[in-house]
Amino acid sequence: MIDALASLGQGFQVALAPMNLMFIFIGVCLGQLIGALPGLGPSAGMALLLPITFGIPPVTAIMMLAGIMYGGMYGGTLTSVLVNVPGEAASVMTAVDGHKLAKKGRAGAALSVSAIGSFLAGIGAVTALVFVTPPLAEFALSFSSPEYFLLATLGITATASIGSGSPLKAILMAVFGLMIALIGTDPILGSSRLTFGVTELLDGIDFLPVAIGIFGVAEVLASLERSYDSEPIKTRLRDMWLSAKDWAECRVAILRGGFLGFFIGLMPGAGPTVASILAYVTEKRFSKHPERFGEGALDGVAAAESANNSAAHGALIPMLALGIPGSASTAVLLAALVLQGIRPGPTLLVEQADLVWGLIASMFVGNIILLILNLPLAPVFAALLRIPYEYLAPGILVISLVGAYATTLSLFNVGLTLFFGMVGYLMIKADLPRAPVVLAVVLAQLMESSLRQSLMLSEGSLVIFVQRPLSAILLLLVIGSLLLPLLNMLTRRRVARRNRREGSISIATK
Amino acid sequence: MKTADIVSAVVMLVLSGVVFATTRDLPYWADFAPGSAFAPFWVAATGAVLSIALLVSALRRPAGPPVDWPDRTGFQRVILTAGGLWAVIVAAPFLGLVATAVLFMLFLLLVVERRRLLPSLFTTAVTTALVYGVFVAWLGIAFPKGLLGV
Repeated sequence: MIDALASLGQGFQVALAPMNLMFIFIGVCLGQLIGALPGLGPSAGMALLLPITFGIPPVTAIMMLAGIMYGGMYGGTLTSVLVNVPGEAASVMTAVDGHKLAKKGRAGAALSVSAIGSFLAGIGAVTALVFVTPPLAEFALSFSSPEYFLLATLGITATASIGSGSPLKAILMAVFGLMIALIGTDPILGSSRLTFGVTELLDGIDFLPVAIGIFGVAEVLASLERSYDSEPIKTRLRDMWLSAKDWAECRVAILRGGFLGFFIGLMPGAGPTVASILAYVTEKRFSKHPERFGEGALDGVAAAESANNSAAHGALIPMLALGIPGSASTAVLLAALVLQGIRPGPTLLVEQADLVWGLIASMFVGNIILLILNLPLAPVFAALLRIPYEYLAPGILVISLVGAYATTLSLFNVGLTLFFGMVGYLMIKADLPRAPVVLAVVLAQLMESSLRQSLMLSEGSLVIFVQRPLSAILLLLVIGSLLLPLLNMLTRRRVARRNRREGSISIATK
Repeated sequence: MKTADIVSAVVMLVLSGVVFATTRDLPYWADFAPGSAFAPFWVAATGAVLSIALLVSALRRPAGPPVDWPDRTGFQRVILTAGGLWAVIVAAPFLGLVATAVLFMLFLLLVVERRRLLPSLFTTAVTTALVYGVFVAWLGIAFPKGLLGV
């Protein structure tokens, strides 16, 4: 514990260096804006801005990108409360009650409780991160190739089973991501696969065109379908003050939401959206006034916002300690590390101590900046929502194209970005989840190389995956994550059958 | 969504077939270790099984809400934007990437979105300055320069 605190002190020295401080500020401001823009989530924003990070040191780049990730959680609240359009998916539950409160003249209270809740939960989650990450990384040092294969597989299967939406579609989209990652040269034997004679494909498809296309371009195309000329509800600084009654009503909700969000964030695949929905539903169950939920419950807003920010921070633990991203945003962050020439995994904490501890310290600093931006400056950011989205969309698209070109200096990459943009748009229309594609592209190489290394070690015997207790446990978790959606489906069917039977009995007795 | 699920399943089934067919000449097992076709075989097999499962479940369930396609105006905006984006790639080697991007922005703002001239010019100027400042001046990226030399 003392070691962790000493390392954190070292991290603060890194984070408070003037240049790093400036990029943390830029990151959280961009995150706040990106979160507020309807149709552009933090993962899209991070992917779009990834090429910019080539010009800055890795530590600074990661701090800025992480700032966009959690800044987006704060920013999403503004549009949800003032316009009733969630700026990003994790703010859906905030829009339900937050906008109702704004219509009742309580926009300031909703924004204020969101900012305070996000701040307290964020600081709590980062504190937990300080103490949980080092022992987990140390434990993971004993992992070998079978454990890595199973861990990467778990990252994908858990996304499907815990995430919202159809698990079948999520796993199918992860398979699509694996297909994309197969394109190029076999990493072990060097033979070309699925290149169709195109020399540009021999190096494989980079993560960036997939992420920028599927998240950035696709989301802008989908948001251009309709006009967003909206008139946000006005709010003033003096409306931001919370009364003692408001605070008493919300403090437990913030605590509950924060804890729940942190644990959900730890699970691969769950992420801030699931966390905010679960926290809202849990709060409704515990509330003395559940009838207010959906009509303007301040504690509902507090719980949802605390949970989404806490989950965004919690999701960093598996990424930093194990090198396994649990969400689309952490997948982009992991890709940023790889692009900067840093090898993620349990050794990251030892080999790149300044980076990891600097990043953790930067999140304390970033959350304080965001609290300031969201309390006294909330009306200023709210005024920015008056800029019609149509003026921003062309700029976002141009930055996507230019960014895609900048990564490899080839127009072929720009073409790939557009291709994946079109694919991503069709996926939005067909209600197919996009995060598993990106997660699979990031994890594919680790999965394939560790699977083949394992089978090489065991001379083809699958027993290697159950030989060590750790790999056996991971295998059970993978199987469990695949069986969970099946069990849920069977339970749902049984309940539906029972309801139908009870319905027919009541009709017969009438 | 039923039709969308059927189409998604068929597309993924075809992709699984393509992965299997184009990698079947590669070795599945090389001496004492998995070969280059090992991973593609299992990815294609999993893709095929899951696609069939999605197809069967979509065919068995009653028709749900339809796909949320945009109205005619929205559809036009998406098609014109996508077309404009592809045109950037075609025209960039001749006109230069930055010049093409400026033309694309003006096309999108004035023709597709029908926004007012002055704010559109201002938006284009700010974005171009940002792109130039960050990518050219700061990161030193050399963009393709066309006939205009920019």
